[in-house]
Amino acid sequence: MIVRYGFFLLLFAVLVFEGTVYQVFAPDFYGFPYSLIPRFLFVMIVFAGIYRGRGYALFYGILFGAVYDIVYSQVLGVYTFGMAFFAYILSMPIPAIKRSLPLTVTLIMVGFILLEYFVYGMMILTESTELPHNMFLYNRLLPSAVMNALFITVIAHPLRLWFEYIERHQNDF
Amino acid sequence: MSPFFSNKKLIVLLVCIILLVALVGYSTSDRKTLTWPEQLVQDSVGTVQSAFSRPAHLVAGFFGNIQDIRNVYEENRILKSQLDDYASTQVELEELRRQNEELQGQLDLEEDLFDYTSRSALVIQRSPDRWNEQIGINKGSQNGIEENQAVMTSKGLIGKVDQVSQFSATVQLLSDTDVTNRISAIVSSDETIQGFIEGIDEETGHLRFSKIDMEADLEDGQTVSTSGLGGVFPAGLEIGEIVDYENDEYGLTKTAFVEPSAEFYHLDHVMIVDRSASALEEEIDPALTGEDDES
Repeated sequence: MIVRYGFFLLLFAVLVFEGTVYQVFAPDFYGFPYSLIPRFLFVMIVFAGIYRGRGYALFYGILFGAVYDIVYSQVLGVYTFGMAFFAYILSMPIPAIKRSLPLTVTLIMVGFILLEYFVYGMMILTESTELPHNMFLYNRLLPSAVMNALFITVIAHPLRLWFEYIERHQNDF
Repeated sequence: MSPFFSNKKLIVLLVCIILLVALVGYSTSDRKTLTWPEQLVQDSVGTVQSAFSRPAHLVAGFFGNIQDIRNVYEENRILKSQLDDYASTQVELEELRRQNEELQGQLDLEEDLFDYTSRSALVIQRSPDRWNEQIGINKGSQNGIEENQAVMTSKGLIGKVDQVSQFSATVQLLSDTDVTNRISAIVSSDETIQGFIEGIDEETGHLRFSKIDMEADLEDGQTVSTSGLGGVFPAGLEIGEIVDYENDEYGLTKTAFVEPSAEFYHLDHVMIVDRSASALEEEIDPALTGEDDES
């Protein structure tokens, strides 16, 4: 049970966490000048894709992208497509990347930046925002990238151990 | 490693892009209600969100209380100085209220645009990507929440109900920059000055109060409140104070900047306002009497 559905439940908890607990304690509400956007869900999906294969990234990307769209966003389809597509093309199950933490983090951050730009473009297109590009870049994208990179660096090791544990026990079922 | 896009994958990708465009087009058209799969997902996630956000609000409230205790002395001093005014205002208010009731009784006015009832709800989520300023509440159509109802905190108006599902709903805050986010408002002074609250100025954090008559006498510090003229909002809900104004880009109307009286952060409990007065009197509502007044 915990082996099979554990990661799904973890991702769901992270999805809820981003919108509830994080928003209550969000630093920009307490006077922090930059907005830190949590993309923990997406970086974890890309991480899972790198370690467990493209199929996982695609499946979780579509599933949680759709839920994200319905619950947190006004425009349907943006995150369903964005999360699934970028998680899919960036899940490169190459041993050299798997072994090196800096390479993994870099790859995930590339995914993060691509997703942010994609969503920014869609928001401009649907006239949901008038945020100028330099504000987007300096107040939002770069600080958020630093925070998400730190997040994935911290949880990379426990997650990797968990994935190895799942691989070992998969044959028990 | 296989190439990224073999022919088959390319076709799947193209179909996905077409689906994306179709979905975006569907959801940006002004549809009124959510489809049942959306309601199902929103309600079930909403249940889990309530479980997460209650303790978070408790912890945040605890730290807020500590902050409050440190300010108690200063606050007490200010409040005491205001107390003298309060007594005389109270007497005046009573007198005016009695007079008002009497006059309304003479005119047979039973309900007006100022009457409303309110329900309270817990804020369970806030959109984490910050592209839209939207919060979720734990009451839905089963609790009598309807679309476009006004939402306020004790300090003033914060937004309107956007999408309603069975047991939860989303609220679009006044600070949302969406083009359809528009609220009819008035300035209370000697003459009535009308206009629309349309989104927020990103840099200063002031609400834009636009489409004001060129002739209107605006002053800093005037209070802006809802007019009750546009749809389902009651009149007299406080929005904020004017801090600045200018002529708009075409020189035809004025735009004022309003410092909102409610803050849009740290929301835990909100009130959803239900106007008691119906939008139109029955005898003049063409939809009810069936007359066509195209002439």
